[in-house]
Amino acid sequence: MSSKFQFELVALVIFAVVIAFGVPAVMNYDGFELNTFARYLALAIVSMALALSWGVTGLLNLGQAATFGMGSYAMAMHLKLRASSGLPDFMSWNNVSELPLFWVPFNSLAFTLLAGLLIPAFIGGLIGIFMFRARIAGVFVAIITLAFLVAFQLLVINQQGLTGGQNGLTGLAQMTLFGWAFDPYSMGFYYLVAGCVTVALAIGVYLTHSKFGLVLRAIREDADRTRFFGYNVANYKTLVFCISAALAGWAGMLYTLVLEFASPTYMGVSFSLAIVIWCAVGGRESVIAAAFGAIVVNMLEGRLSDIFVEGWHLILGVIFVLVVMFMPRGIFGLLVEGAQKLRTVGRARPGHAVEPLSTTPLETNQER
Amino acid sequence: MDVIANQLFAGLSMASILLMIALGLAIIYGAMGVINLAHGEFVMLGAYVTWALQTHVGIGILPALPIVFIAVALVGLIVEKAVVQKLYHRPLDTILATWGIGIILQQLVRLGIGAESRFVKGPEILSGNTEIGPLIMSNYRIFVIFFSIAVLFVTWRLMTRTEFGMKLRAVIQNRDISECYGIESKRIFSITFAYGAGLAGIAGALITPLFSTIPTMGTGLVVDAFLVVIVGGLGSLVGSAVAAALIGEATALFSIVINDTLGRIAVLAGIILLIRFRPRGLFPTETRR
Amino acid sequence: MKRRDFLGGMGAVGTAGMLSTPALLASSGRALAQGADIPVGLLFSLTGAVAVVESTLHDAALMAIEEINASGGIHGRQLRPIIEDPASDPATYANRARRLMIRDKCVSVFGSYTSASRQAVLPVTEQRNNLYWYPTLYEGRECSRNVMYGGAVPNQQQDDLIPWAIENFGPRFFMIGNNYVYPKEENNYCKTLLAKYGGEVVNEEYVPLGHSDFSSVINRIRAEKPDVIFATVVGDSDVAFARQYHAAELDPSQMPVVSLTRSEVEVKAIGGEAAAGHFSSAPYFMGHGTPENEKFVEAYKSRYGGDQVTHFVSEAAYFQVYQFKAALEKVDPANITPQTIRDAAVGLTLNAPQGEVLIDENLHTHLWPKIGQWKTDGQAEVLVESKERIAPRPYAAYEGQTCTGEGLVKA
Repeated sequence: MSSKFQFELVALVIFAVVIAFGVPAVMNYDGFELNTFARYLALAIVSMALALSWGVTGLLNLGQAATFGMGSYAMAMHLKLRASSGLPDFMSWNNVSELPLFWVPFNSLAFTLLAGLLIPAFIGGLIGIFMFRARIAGVFVAIITLAFLVAFQLLVINQQGLTGGQNGLTGLAQMTLFGWAFDPYSMGFYYLVAGCVTVALAIGVYLTHSKFGLVLRAIREDADRTRFFGYNVANYKTLVFCISAALAGWAGMLYTLVLEFASPTYMGVSFSLAIVIWCAVGGRESVIAAAFGAIVVNMLEGRLSDIFVEGWHLILGVIFVLVVMFMPRGIFGLLVEGAQKLRTVGRARPGHAVEPLSTTPLETNQER
Repeated sequence: MDVIANQLFAGLSMASILLMIALGLAIIYGAMGVINLAHGEFVMLGAYVTWALQTHVGIGILPALPIVFIAVALVGLIVEKAVVQKLYHRPLDTILATWGIGIILQQLVRLGIGAESRFVKGPEILSGNTEIGPLIMSNYRIFVIFFSIAVLFVTWRLMTRTEFGMKLRAVIQNRDISECYGIESKRIFSITFAYGAGLAGIAGALITPLFSTIPTMGTGLVVDAFLVVIVGGLGSLVGSAVAAALIGEATALFSIVINDTLGRIAVLAGIILLIRFRPRGLFPTETRR
Repeated sequence: MKRRDFLGGMGAVGTAGMLSTPALLASSGRALAQGADIPVGLLFSLTGAVAVVESTLHDAALMAIEEINASGGIHGRQLRPIIEDPASDPATYANRARRLMIRDKCVSVFGSYTSASRQAVLPVTEQRNNLYWYPTLYEGRECSRNVMYGGAVPNQQQDDLIPWAIENFGPRFFMIGNNYVYPKEENNYCKTLLAKYGGEVVNEEYVPLGHSDFSSVINRIRAEKPDVIFATVVGDSDVAFARQYHAAELDPSQMPVVSLTRSEVEVKAIGGEAAAGHFSSAPYFMGHGTPENEKFVEAYKSRYGGDQVTHFVSEAAYFQVYQFKAALEKVDPANITPQTIRDAAVGLTLNAPQGEVLIDENLHTHLWPKIGQWKTDGQAEVLVESKERIAPRPYAAYEGQTCTGEGLVKA
C-alpha cells in the first residue's frame, strides 16, 4: 500500500465523516441548506468522474456534460411519467399523440436506475472505441468530445416533442423507493446523496490505486511504452471512458432528484468547462481532490453571488487565474506538498521514504 | 438553383468570418500550444473598441481597424506578460487561466459599459448589394471575404518572409536551440500572442455591423473557431483557411437542404469523422514538436 | 457594489445558523409580523446570457419599489427588496426562488424573462404556495394559481395583428423563430388565425437560441417572396436577424418583419435605420402618451441615464410592483400572506403606463394591444390601437381548454 493510497484513504474517511455528521450539524439540519449542499455533492461525483479520465489517464473529456445529461434525463423521464396521468403535458403541447417507444420502459424505476448508468456508459464506450482504436489522443480527444456534446445538446433541444426542448423536463414527481418518497429537502434524502458520493468516491479511490489505475497512469505518462509492455491501451482507455460516463450518469440522476427538473443547460459547453475547472481547482490527480474542488468552487460561487451581487463573476475569474498560476496542482497539490514537508521535518531524515511528487508534465501524452 | 448559388455565397461569407476569428487562434495555438479560451473575449473587445470609437470619437469601422488592432493587441500583450508567459511549461493549464481571463474581461466590460446590446453602424460606402444574375451579394460581406483573404496573406508573409517569422518558426521547432542562437523566445511569444489577439480584435470589429454586440458575444464564437483550427491542422494557416471554407459551405448547404439546427448537427458529425480519420488535420505541419 | 442587506458573515455556511428548522420546513402560509418591513424578492439575472434584457426588468422593478418606499410605503411599512442574481442558470433560479420564499419569507417574488426560467421556478412557487410575478409576454400554456402573469398571451398580441397584416400586406406568411416553446406556440395560434382569415404559411423555421448568421434564412425569404415575415426571434438573435435583413436590402414596405418580440431594447441595438419600417405588436411602446407613461419614462431616464429605453416587458415589471402595492393595501395588515395578496389582486385595476390594466381571475392581465411601426429614431409610431382592453385567453389555440379562477378547465 503506497503512502499516497494511505493518504487518500484517510482523506476519504475524513470526507465521509464530515459530510455525514459535520455538514448537517453546521447547517443546523436545515432542509434548504442541506438541499443546496446535496447539489454540490452530486456535482462532486461528475467532477470526480472527470478526474478518472483526465487527471489519471490524461484524456480531457469535454463531453462530460452529455453523459451527465443522459443520467439526468433518464431520471427525469421516469419522474415525469409518474407525475402525469397518461401522456406527459409537453408532448400533447407538441402534438405528439402517443408515448414514444423509448419512453415506455422508463415507467419502471429499476429500468431507469440501470439506464441512468448503462446508457451513458454505452455511449461513452462507443465514443471511446471510435476514438481510441484510431489512437486519437491529446487535444483531439477534447475536440471530438466537445463536438459530440454540442451536437447532442442541439439534438435534445430540437426534439421538443420528445425531450421538452429548451425548457427541459419540469413538473416532476418525487421518487419513491420501497414506499418511501424522497423529499429533496429532508435529512433522509441528504443522506442518500451523501451515501452515493461516498460509495462513488470509494470506487474511484479503489480504481486509481488498483493495478488498473496503475496502467491508466502509465498510459498518461507514455502510451507507447505502455503498449510495448503488452497492454491494450485502446481497451483501457475505452473502459475508463465507460466508467467515467457511468459515474457522470449517476451524478446526473442525483442532480435531477435534487433540483426536481432536468434542463439542457446541463448539457452545454459552459457546464462541461465548469466541470474541468472544478477538477483543476481541486487537483485532477486525485478523485477525492476533484470532488472536493467541485464542492469548494460551487460553495464559493453561491457565497460570492450573495455578497457581491454585481461583481461576483469577476472575483471568481480572478480567483481561477490565481489558482492556476500559484497552485498548479490544485488544493490537492498544496495539501500533498504540505504533508510531505511535515513528514520530512518530523522524521528529520531528509530524502528518505518520501514518495517523490510526479513531476512529469501531464501534457506529454501525445501519442506519436 | 438560384438559391444554391446564393447559399454558396452565404457559406463563403460565414467562412470568412470564421477564418478571421480562427486565424489568431491558429497562430497562438500553432506557435505556442496555448489553447486560448479568452480568444472570444478578444473578439468581443474588438467589437467594443469599435463601438467606443464610433460613438465617442466618431470614427467609422474601416478607419478604426488599425486602432482596434493595436488596442486589442496591447490587451493581448498584457495578458501574455502577466499570465500566459508563466505557464508555457504547462500548456494545459493555460486553458484554465485563459478561461479565467475570459471571465474577467467579460465582466469588466459588463460592469464598465453595461450588459445591454450596443449598436455599431456599418460603413456607408459598403452598404447595398452587388447583383450578378441571380446572385445577390451584400457589399459588406464581399468586403469581409476579401479582407480575410488579405489578412491571411499578410500573416503568411509575416510567417515565411520576415526575420520575425523565421525566428518564430525556429522557436516552434526547437526552443532551446533557438535560444542558444540568441533568439529571445519569450519576446517572440509575446509578440505572437499580441498579434493573434489583434487579429481577433479586427474580427470583432468586422462582425459588429452584422451581429449584436454584447459582453457574452465571444463565448459561442470560440468553439467554432477551435473546430476550424483543429480540422485545418495545428498551426497551418492554409489549413485553417480551407477548413473555414469547408465548414462555412457545409453549414450553408446543409441548412438549406435540412434546416439550421439539423444542418449544424450534420456539420459537427462531419467534423468528428474528419478528425477521426485525419487526426492531424487537413494540412498537418511537419515539425518536430 | 450592492450588498445583500441581511448577510452578516462570509463564512461558508455562516448564515444557515440563524434559522431554525421548523420555520424553514413549514410552508410560507404564515402571516408576516406586524410593523416590520415587507420582504419582496427580485429574481432577475444580472449576469450571463439573458442579463441583456433581465437587467432592465430588474431596474424597472427596483425603481417602482423605491418609489413606493419614498412615498411612505404600504400601511406605513417599507418594502424590503432582496436581490438575487440567478446568473441565467435555471437551477439557480429554482434554488434562489426557494431561498427567497422560505428563508427570506418573501410574500412575493418578481422575476425572470425566459420560459425556461419561469418553468424552473413554477414548481417552487406552487409547492410553497407563494406568488411569482412574471412580467414577460409568454406562450399562454400555463394556468398556475401562484403566478401573476403581467405580459401578453398569444390572443392579446395576435388577434388584431394577423387580420391587419393580411389586409395590408397579403396572406403569405413566413414564420421564423427561435427553437423553443414560445415561438412554436405563437405560431400554433397564428395558424388558427390564418386559417380563419384566409392566410397561409409558406415556411416555418426555427433557429437555435443565440443563432447569429441568418444568411440562409434570408436566402430562403428571397426565394419564397412571402408577404409577411412573422418573427418570434428573441434577444441578440433578433438583433442579428434585423441587421442582416437590412444589409440584404429587403424592403420593409414589400416584405415587412412583423415581430412579437422586438421592443425598444432590441431596436436600440439593431439601429433605427435597420429597424425602420418594420412592425411590432405589443401592449406598450415607449412613446405612448399617457401621463403615467411620461412619469415612468422620465423617472427611468433620470435614474438610469438619458440614453436608456423602456419597453413592454420593463413596463410590466414596473406596473406589477404597483399592482402588488394596490393588492397589499386591500389586505388586512395583520394577515399578509401570498394567498391574501393574490385574492386581493384579482379584479384589481391600475392606471399603468399603457392604459388601465385589470387582473383577470385567471391571474393573467387585461391589456391594450397596439401595433407600432419602427422609425429611424428607434421609437415606434402606433398605427393601430385596440379600442378596448383585451382579455387574456391562455390556451386560446386549444379548443375546449380554458384557464379560469379555479385553474385549467377541460371541456
